[in-house]
Amino acid sequence: METWKEFDQNVVTHSAAHHLMAIDDLIQKLGYARVSDVARQLNITRGSVSISLQPLKKAGLVVQDENRHIRLSGDGQALVDAIKTKRVLMQRFFDEILGVGAEQAEIDACKLEHLLSNATAQRLLSFLRFFDSDQVAARRTLDAWRQFDPTCDHQTQRCPSCESGVCLAQNVSESH
Amino acid sequence: MQRLTKPGPSQPDAARPAAAAAGGPGIEPDELIADLNRLYAEEVEAAVRYLHLSSAVRGMDRLLVEGKLKEGFQETIQHAEIIAQKLRALGAVPKLEINVECPPQAISGREALRFALTFEEAALEAYQDVLRRVEGDVVLEEFIRGQIAVESVHVAELKELIFE
Repeated sequence: METWKEFDQNVVTHSAAHHLMAIDDLIQKLGYARVSDVARQLNITRGSVSISLQPLKKAGLVVQDENRHIRLSGDGQALVDAIKTKRVLMQRFFDEILGVGAEQAEIDACKLEHLLSNATAQRLLSFLRFFDSDQVAARRTLDAWRQFDPTCDHQTQRCPSCESGVCLAQNVSESH
Repeated sequence: MQRLTKPGPSQPDAARPAAAAAGGPGIEPDELIADLNRLYAEEVEAAVRYLHLSSAVRGMDRLLVEGKLKEGFQETIQHAEIIAQKLRALGAVPKLEINVECPPQAISGREALRFALTFEEAALEAYQDVLRRVEGDVVLEEFIRGQIAVESVHVAELKELIFE
């Protein structure tokens, strides 16, 4: 399957997702959003914002009134809500479960937020809810994971995680 | 980030920066430099887009719009140079932050002009915004007014060309 080609087949590009979220943020903060506000929020030119908004208007995600105020359509708002939810889920997973730290979790979640499928997001939510529950098994699992020693001796033939002689740990080491 | 205010008519002195209240321009020097840097970026980015559009138009349309797009490129570069000079006059070094993506798609002459209209209108609005903020600085006001006049002509010309 040529999944990599789907990267560009997403409903919105990464840039478009940020435009939509900026509009949502501004409306929540100021009560309105104009091209100039979006440009300042994203630290890009008005020209860029105007060009980026065109396909979003065409797709029916953004509406601009006669006063040039921008708002999200119902579909646009739903898309933003979904993206923001996915960001929160991934941020929590990376930070609270994997323990990569809040800053790295935010960076990685931001990069992935608009790419994650709803199906995977649902499973991720379910997974986090399991750890949020007061089940003893959840706490034990988390404790066991935190106490797990990830040290790797790069002996792939003895490693249950590595296949075909490739050491996974070596490929994602800090030096790469 | 600067505090944003709703657009509207001139603010009373109480709501304007100290410099304005004292009879000077209604904007602090560092804010003015930031505004001019933004205008500088608008113009440079527009130039890059004009350059790309003049190369992306295919077929017979090239004969019709290539000249207009090249002219747009020259003028926006010229505007950028004027703004850079204004920045230097204020004792600043121009700062350029642009992020342009031009996909490898052939476009028609009309589409190219529509694109140009989009970023020319954006530039016009940017100048109009700054005009509101430089009230009191006669030289800058005049400069910005001049740019607004030029940009307005561009926008009108493009609208006329696109008209169906």
